[in-house]
Amino acid sequence: MSPRTDLLQGTLALMVLKTLETMGPQHGYGLARRIEQVSGDALTLNHGTLYPALVKLEHEGWIRARWGLSDNNRRAKFYAITPRGLKQLHAEEARWSRVTHLVGRFLKPVGDAS
Amino acid sequence: MSGWRPALNRLREWLHPAAVERELDEELRAHVELMTDDLVAQGMAPDAARRHAAMRLGGLDQAKERTRDVRGLAALATAWRDVRYALRWLRRAPGFAAVTIATLTLGIGVNVAIFTLVDAVVLRPLAYPDASRVMAIWEVDTGPRTPGARMTVAPGNLGDYRLADVFSAVAGWAIRARSIGGGEPEAVQAEEVTPEYFETLGVAPALGRAFTADDADAGGSRVALLSHGLWQRRFASDAAVLGRRIILDGQPHVIVGVMPPGFTSPGDLVAAARTAVWVPAVYPPELLANRGDHEIRVLARLLPGITVDQARTRLGAVSEALAEQYPDTNRDVRAALQPLGDDIVRDVRQPLVVLLALVALILTIACVNVANLLLARGVARRREMAVRFALGASRARVVTALVTECLVLATLAAVGGTLLAAWVTNLLIATAPATLPRLADVSLDGRVLAYTALVAVATGLLFGMIPAWQASHSRPIDALAGTGRAVATPAVMRWRATLIVAQLALSAFLLVWAGLMVKSLVRLNSVPLGFDPTNVVAAQMVLPETRYPTPAARLQFFEAVTARLREVPGVRAIGFANALPMRGAWSSGFRIDGLPPPESGFLQAAFQAVSVGYFDALGMSLEDGRLLRDEDADGTEPVAVVSRLFERRYLNGDSAIGRTLRRAPTAPAIRIVGVIADVRREGRASTLEPQVYLPAAQIAIYPVRLAHLAVRVDSAAALPVVPALRTIVEGIDAEQPLSQVRTLDEILYGASADRRFRAVLFAMFAVLAVALASIGTYGVVAFVVSQRTPEIGVRLAMGATTWHIYRWLLTRLVVLVLGGVVLGLIAARGLGRYVEGLLFQVTLNDAASYAGAALMLLAVGVGACIVAGRQATRIDPTTALRYE
Repeated sequence: MSPRTDLLQGTLALMVLKTLETMGPQHGYGLARRIEQVSGDALTLNHGTLYPALVKLEHEGWIRARWGLSDNNRRAKFYAITPRGLKQLHAEEARWSRVTHLVGRFLKPVGDAS
Repeated sequence: MSGWRPALNRLREWLHPAAVERELDEELRAHVELMTDDLVAQGMAPDAARRHAAMRLGGLDQAKERTRDVRGLAALATAWRDVRYALRWLRRAPGFAAVTIATLTLGIGVNVAIFTLVDAVVLRPLAYPDASRVMAIWEVDTGPRTPGARMTVAPGNLGDYRLADVFSAVAGWAIRARSIGGGEPEAVQAEEVTPEYFETLGVAPALGRAFTADDADAGGSRVALLSHGLWQRRFASDAAVLGRRIILDGQPHVIVGVMPPGFTSPGDLVAAARTAVWVPAVYPPELLANRGDHEIRVLARLLPGITVDQARTRLGAVSEALAEQYPDTNRDVRAALQPLGDDIVRDVRQPLVVLLALVALILTIACVNVANLLLARGVARRREMAVRFALGASRARVVTALVTECLVLATLAAVGGTLLAAWVTNLLIATAPATLPRLADVSLDGRVLAYTALVAVATGLLFGMIPAWQASHSRPIDALAGTGRAVATPAVMRWRATLIVAQLALSAFLLVWAGLMVKSLVRLNSVPLGFDPTNVVAAQMVLPETRYPTPAARLQFFEAVTARLREVPGVRAIGFANALPMRGAWSSGFRIDGLPPPESGFLQAAFQAVSVGYFDALGMSLEDGRLLRDEDADGTEPVAVVSRLFERRYLNGDSAIGRTLRRAPTAPAIRIVGVIADVRREGRASTLEPQVYLPAAQIAIYPVRLAHLAVRVDSAAALPVVPALRTIVEGIDAEQPLSQVRTLDEILYGASADRRFRAVLFAMFAVLAVALASIGTYGVVAFVVSQRTPEIGVRLAMGATTWHIYRWLLTRLVVLVLGGVVLGLIAARGLGRYVEGLLFQVTLNDAASYAGAALMLLAVGVGACIVAGRQATRIDPTTALRYE
């Protein structure tokens, strides 16, 4: 078995949105590769789980898709973040940092709270 | 902008699942290709790279499956959540839910009911293969006497129409009565048809064969085809029926076939009864030679590729040629044609379409009213909307949710509407006059249910859009702060006022007309008939000439029946005649001796040959002189009883007793011995005509065919006299059927069917219009109240009483109500000439109908103010003020 870190529910969506914000429009494979790279290859995605997540994000109106050509001239579907997606991303980022901060405080030894 | 995109995407997924699926497939393949490219670039062998890429996807099919699941589930889950939310919302506001659902139920219910009727009668194609190519042909009188009059076709012309070269088949047919003998005698509807009839309709017998040219030969053997129903009933569905005999009018006919079960013949479509047997039409040479004898109906099937207009042109040319060739008979005759389906409904199509338009209008009003109620509630839901937006719901999501609420409302109403429609449809069928064709086809079937679903969705979207749009454009910040106002610009308020005025006007209009119709019906029912129809059974016995060739033989038959019927307990009087009230009359010319003949040469009166017991059987009262007696028979002095109007009109009020009249200058003198009350022969709405009753026994002076029997019984309990009558008739002549056995009351009820149908329809629409106007008016007042809640609160706090609030609301409404009512009354009077002909002893200026309509609608206005006002005054002033 490959060393796999299970993803928390909703974190994949957040990663997708963040990747799209920083990298601009991406196709599905590009997103998968980028997410793995950023994780320092600590994360081995099942690429098949990416597409349901993309559909959900599209349903919410946070990303939108358009067909285009890849660097090596293959036809692929490119996803881009929408303004509402950006809003959602920023809200999620804020929430995420609040939660990690909070959880971090619990996990650190007592007295070392800063 | 982008708010709508997800909704559009979703819509596309619903509408084009295959395209979406294809795209997903392409996308996943691209993923594998892209990854393979990468891996190959890193030095992996292409095959291994592809395998690895597919593996990382977790398998192409699995990935697809998983994506598909999300797509379907997400859409479904959202929709289900919205539906559940809508139901919860309705449960929280039961009054609102009841009113809106009731409004829509009424609107949808009558729409479905009327559509059911219109669909079966007008819209649905006839059940023949390629039915639009089956034409009805008739002849039109272009002469000066009755220009444009429609005539049946002269059989002699039929052959020439066949030569028009635009029809693949042309058939003659006619509806005729036949009596079936052997076993229980029975009178049935038969069609005499030419052999092409079956080819023209495109229908073949289910069993046996159609008629051939030999069958139609006058010298050929007699054959018959049975309807499926008759075959089941009289022959127990025996497959070996072919070749057996059936006795029709005393003549054995060989059964050559049985028609299919669902077959609806042209005769079924135009007559109230269903055709039971078909026999070949035989046109004797002398009939074919006389082209002035218009006797038959004609069907034709267009050749492939020929249009109705082309056929019309060709047929016109044939008519012109015939007019040249046979000027005596055909100079003023032109053939005309129309698709059979259109022809059958030619008299009812327009009124039915108008009816459909009217119910569509009513449904539109219902939608607008519900939209108004939703707008009024929208104010109360401002906070809810604001919270939804604040929680990050997209505009599209909120609109979808709101529209779902409306669709839920519409669906609930559609269920109620279907039930209501079933009831209304039955009511309509029960009251529909027999002149409405294809009533047997009326049923709540798949087509109707599909229509209902369509109407429900359309109404849901129609009344849901505006409030949804309005709610979705409220600014969250306003609503949460409590300062948001629902859209109530002067333009919107003006539009709403116009709508209320229009609704009230329509209600007033329909109420006035319904009032006039109902009053006409009441007046009609109080018109004296001149006879007493209660507890009288009427029956018809058409004695065929083959067995009863002479008037004396027919008289003897009826006298024998009368003599035996007298023995039956409960029978009080028996009369027979050549005609009964409601069943035709003959108008004849005559002269009164000693009076100068009129300019036209003859006076006119309705003549009847009646038995001695006739007057008692019908409960007519003698006014002067004596009734007919048994002694008034052949060989004694011819006598007559005349009606009161006869005396008044022809003798200037002098006594008619002792006068003599003659049916021709050289005919024997008939002495008038009695004067009897006037009878409205064709029912209560008919006009009186002078009447002359001659003794049936004095055959020599008036040898008409006796055919009708009337039996008066002591009480309704004795009405089942019919089996006894059947036994008696069978005992005298086992071959003789009874037909049209009915009580006179039933016949009279049938005679006023048209009038009653109209009264029921108008009353139904009026009730509906008033119900909708009530809801509509209430909706507007409720909206005003919801808008002015703080103001009402202030007023209440300042010491205003409930009464003040009512009055305040009333003053805002009174102009609208009065305006609407006055407009409606003016319209009812102005358009009155369209219904004037339908009224009976009621004028268009009938004050009570107008006053009643006005009062009822004023009551509606006051009621709306009180109901809405009560809600307003229940507001706690402090709560109301906090709203501000």
